[in-house]
Amino acid sequence: MTVTLTGDLRSGPGNWFASLGAMLRWHLTSLRLVLPVMAVVQMLTAAGLSVGMSLFFSQVDERTGLFLGTGAAIVSLILVGLVVAPQLVAGEKEAGTYDFTASLPVPRSASVAGWVVVSALVSLPAMVVALLLAEWRFDLDFSVSWAVAPAVLLTLVCAALIGYAVAHGVEKPTITQMISQVFAFLVLGFTPITFPPENLPGWLAGLHQALPFYHMGVIIRGALTDGLVTDVGRSYLIVVAWTVVAAVVTGIAVRRRK
Amino acid sequence: MNDWTFRAEGVTKTYDGGKTYPNRDVSIQVEPGEVYGLLGPNGAGKSTLVKQVIGLLKPTSGSLHLGPHDLVADPDAARQLCSYLPQAPMPIESFKAAEAVRLTGQIRGGDRAVINRRADELIEALEIGEWRDTLGARLSGGVRRLVGFVMVTVVPGRLVILDEPTNDVDPLRRRLLWEQIRHLGEMGAAVILVTHNVLEAEKSVDRLAVISDGKVLAEGTPSSLKVADRGRLRLQVMLVPGMPTPDLPPVVLDHSRVGNNLMSVIDEDRATDGIGWAQRLMGEGVAEEYALAATTLEDAYIRLTGVVASEETEAVPA
Repeated sequence: MTVTLTGDLRSGPGNWFASLGAMLRWHLTSLRLVLPVMAVVQMLTAAGLSVGMSLFFSQVDERTGLFLGTGAAIVSLILVGLVVAPQLVAGEKEAGTYDFTASLPVPRSASVAGWVVVSALVSLPAMVVALLLAEWRFDLDFSVSWAVAPAVLLTLVCAALIGYAVAHGVEKPTITQMISQVFAFLVLGFTPITFPPENLPGWLAGLHQALPFYHMGVIIRGALTDGLVTDVGRSYLIVVAWTVVAAVVTGIAVRRRK
Repeated sequence: MNDWTFRAEGVTKTYDGGKTYPNRDVSIQVEPGEVYGLLGPNGAGKSTLVKQVIGLLKPTSGSLHLGPHDLVADPDAARQLCSYLPQAPMPIESFKAAEAVRLTGQIRGGDRAVINRRADELIEALEIGEWRDTLGARLSGGVRRLVGFVMVTVVPGRLVILDEPTNDVDPLRRRLLWEQIRHLGEMGAAVILVTHNVLEAEKSVDRLAVISDGKVLAEGTPSSLKVADRGRLRLQVMLVPGMPTPDLPPVVLDHSRVGNNLMSVIDEDRATDGIGWAQRLMGEGVAEEYALAATTLEDAYIRLTGVVASEETEAVPA
């Protein structure tokens, strides 16, 4: 069959949304064999965190319960965006298939947005499971406000963009994988999300005032609980600032040509 | 109406601050409808050149234009206007073959009905219909390569870049693939074909450039590149394994040896002397057999690059 070749360039919002839809399907189909497993593993991890942490305590009072329950949910939300993209992109680079994906004729931002939606699909169920489990295990009463939507969305986008920036900005796949492991280690063990910042040495607590992870915890807790956290506005500002930085770095990384 | 000629002018790519030169001052031009071969040994700089065209790499200096578009300044336009089949395997493990084709067609901005029709026809033409619903992970390397070809050409760009498209493909389907590559030209696309398979290139491209060490060594039609070998014949002598290369008589103008295969170029007028020499070698138990044939593009290729194409081994200088 002979087709007519076009020389017209596609642009504008219509093309952007069509590209987003197509790239979303591309990412989802690419991950078809691992996505369900990934979602289940994330849910189990979140459940494990939520229940496992409580074993450190002989008795869990309401405040500790709220901390642990929300902490597990927040950690699982952050980890997917932060760790999964770097791991997958590093795998693509190692297999040599990165060039084809990078040569697809879509706006880079639409491809990034498609990826953010995918990480939401993996991490949101895990977050919900962690919260429900905590509610049952510690007999908690969450007071969910409307702010949960922007808080979760912002956290999700920020974490996914930081992960994406590392995935595409760091050239060597082995380094990318190392960084993502450091992220996982840092977020799981040394970020005041499942415990209060006072438990950390002063310098590390100070560092977390500048990093986004602790503040992601604050804004989500602010939306899920009453009176557990303060100064939520400042935390929003810091997470927004990190999102902007991550978006700019991602933009540079995906457009960069060696 | 635009003229969709592709022009590379003085393209130079350096790494490590000028220590390595994958491309040195490469200038080529490909007209719409033309199938243009980039021929050269591994590491010659062919893939580096096409990656600059599609915007994965940026030239250190020089320009790349497709019709009115500056591809270096506008990589987004490059990705829309060019179709690119990379040398690496396609990332379609979890895609069914036909699904991967349809989705790439949509990503390339094609109309659904047209995509479906052309996908069906390409799949049928390449005789890979039995795998249309098979997951990429279960496809053989050759079929996967063909699916990759259908993916990138279901909605062809003005410039179609194919990096080693026939790798792993069986001989029968290779022929079918060549027909489809020619058909892209007939539809008006400019086609750049990267290969190190000289014999295939000789039969299938309109013009070609021989590239080695990042430089264009020669450019022209396959026949024009063989001009220097006109009036010469190729005398191929299969030596008994382990035999050293015998002394060469004056009739041998050029030679190279790969394993036990001694390839020599002789003067057409002195073919009898050449045959006499080969027969003597057989009589002495030095050679097992010989064959006399017309020179091919491969002889020109060996002369230009010093590399025996079929083996990718450094030729023994004559």
